[in-house]
Amino acid sequence: MRDTLIRATPRRVRQETSRPQLIRAAVVTVLLLFTLFALPQILSLYYIDTMTQVAVYSMVTLALGVLAGRVGLVSLGQVAVLAIGAWVAARLLFETTQPYPLILVEAGLITMAAGVLIGLPALRLRGLYLALITLMFAGAITVVLATVNFPNGGHGFTGYNGSLVHIPPVRRPSIASSDPAYFRYSVIVAILMFLLVLAHIKTRPGRAWAAIRQSEPAALAAGINTWLYKLWAFALASFITGVAGGVLAGAVHYLYSIDFPTQDSITLLAVTLMGGVYSMWGAVVAALLYQFLPALLNNWGVSADWLIILFGLGVLQVLTTAPAGLADQVPKDLARLGRLLRGRLRRPAPGSTE
Amino acid sequence: MPPWSDFEPFIVSGLALGGVYALSGVGLVVLYRATGVLYLAFGAVGAMGALIAWSLGRAGAPGWVTWLACIAVAALITLGYGALFGPALSKRDPLVKAVATIGLTLILYGLMDLLWTTSGGAVRSLTLPTDNGGFSIGQIQVDWTQVIALAAGVVITVGTGAFLRYTKLGTAMRAMANDREITATLGVPVRKVEAAAWLGCGALAGIAGLLLADLVALDATTLTFLVISTLAAVLIARLRSITVTFVAAIVVGLLHDLLTPITSLTNYRDMTPFVLAAVALLVMPRRQVMAQSREEA
Repeated sequence: MRDTLIRATPRRVRQETSRPQLIRAAVVTVLLLFTLFALPQILSLYYIDTMTQVAVYSMVTLALGVLAGRVGLVSLGQVAVLAIGAWVAARLLFETTQPYPLILVEAGLITMAAGVLIGLPALRLRGLYLALITLMFAGAITVVLATVNFPNGGHGFTGYNGSLVHIPPVRRPSIASSDPAYFRYSVIVAILMFLLVLAHIKTRPGRAWAAIRQSEPAALAAGINTWLYKLWAFALASFITGVAGGVLAGAVHYLYSIDFPTQDSITLLAVTLMGGVYSMWGAVVAALLYQFLPALLNNWGVSADWLIILFGLGVLQVLTTAPAGLADQVPKDLARLGRLLRGRLRRPAPGSTE
Repeated sequence: MPPWSDFEPFIVSGLALGGVYALSGVGLVVLYRATGVLYLAFGAVGAMGALIAWSLGRAGAPGWVTWLACIAVAALITLGYGALFGPALSKRDPLVKAVATIGLTLILYGLMDLLWTTSGGAVRSLTLPTDNGGFSIGQIQVDWTQVIALAAGVVITVGTGAFLRYTKLGTAMRAMANDREITATLGVPVRKVEAAAWLGCGALAGIAGLLLADLVALDATTLTFLVISTLAAVLIARLRSITVTFVAAIVVGLLHDLLTPITSLTNYRDMTPFVLAAVALLVMPRRQVMAQSREEA
């Protein structure tokens, strides 16, 4: 029974490789080429830095989206996880001369170990408890970071030296020391993380997660080790967020604990839900909401508080009427608009949402 | 280890903080039991009330008007949210209901930061007249606000306990905590009972906001996220018992303040609620392992 359930799905998926999928692949390729080659040419340095942040945070929202959308777990402490990744990466970058990609993997793995330690007890509990314990954890990490500080080239375990006058910047990879080059580097790392998630979703863990999300008792009855797969998802999310932290360390050069407040974890969850947790596009939309929009508004002189209010309204709207978020709703609305524009009003237009 | 006399003043402030955490925790537990909503905007509505009270005070309104306004604002926002989103989300997972209140938190937080901006280093304070009077036990100075905070915690806990046990509305709330559908079938006006719970919880949020603005700081961020400390107490009580919530809240408040004079730990004292909650969850029985099936994340 269990084997048929699990093995039947991929065969059917493979048969459906058809025109829409080819078109989608082509669109993704074109978008990626545009992002990698055209975008750094046309954007000012201000927006290149912003887009690097978007690339970093798209990994974080991807991780949150996997947890919330695929498995049904909510983390309210992802910024703390990001901070751990950034801390570990900065520490390694100052202490060693290892190549950057290796350090990213190490930061990811160490963050993953920390995430598993937190998740281990919490995953046996119901979802609400996990969300709260991650919130507690984020609060605790914030307190520790405020005291320990981020490494700034000092020595000892913390790598922090409060009396340093000339603080050295966190180094970047030698092939990507300029801002546009580092932007490309960040995008490529982000793409690899998206592919990693895709590889999970299309295979056994993804199917197990889907079953758990539908109904945990049913998944358990179908012989799925729910605890293992939930922990797996948690570990994957921590790994990706840790890698993102490593990329962030190089992007900003100087890290301060004040940049990782607990409330940002909450805002991040809000934008992730708004972007849409059922599609990987949602993660990109969420990162744009979280990093690009504030930069844009800042440029226009509009207070970022309006965005916080918008995110709050967005969460309520997503939870009450449009669970799949903007990534799902905008294409639907655009398609509907297109139909209206083409004057095909003979039949009443179908509902835009559900 | 510093001498005992260094700890003494912190016993009083810790108990006062614990008292406010206790009345907040009781509000959260009662609302959760009656409606299934863990109200994460509790701190934000309290902060909103306190800031409005501050503005009214600046405009020349007498003290008692500002305090009532604070409580009324918090209660009405909470009731409004409950009336709007309570029914829409009533069939959803507790997790979804809790996350929805994050939406309200963000809206209020953005509004507060917009209207009472802290950029430029604006510092506000809300002082209650009870700060001035007081008495001393031995060497320790105690002001009336601290007495009120602890007393409010005790009174609210005992009062809520009695209310749930002996009144018709309280019985209805307990019935709904058990099973909403059956309670509705028995003819209990479910919506009205829920509205009462929302209103009560909101009023408690206002009281907590007023007291915390005086005891801690009148600052939107601080007050909004102080709810996390209360959540620790609520978690230790497993969102169930108000007695355990009370005890846990007092312990959280007391331990937090008692760590202040110990130099090696003073920087880490804000971790107290998190560490206590984590330990409590670790020893939580495995009964709650099985998650309910849910419609959406």
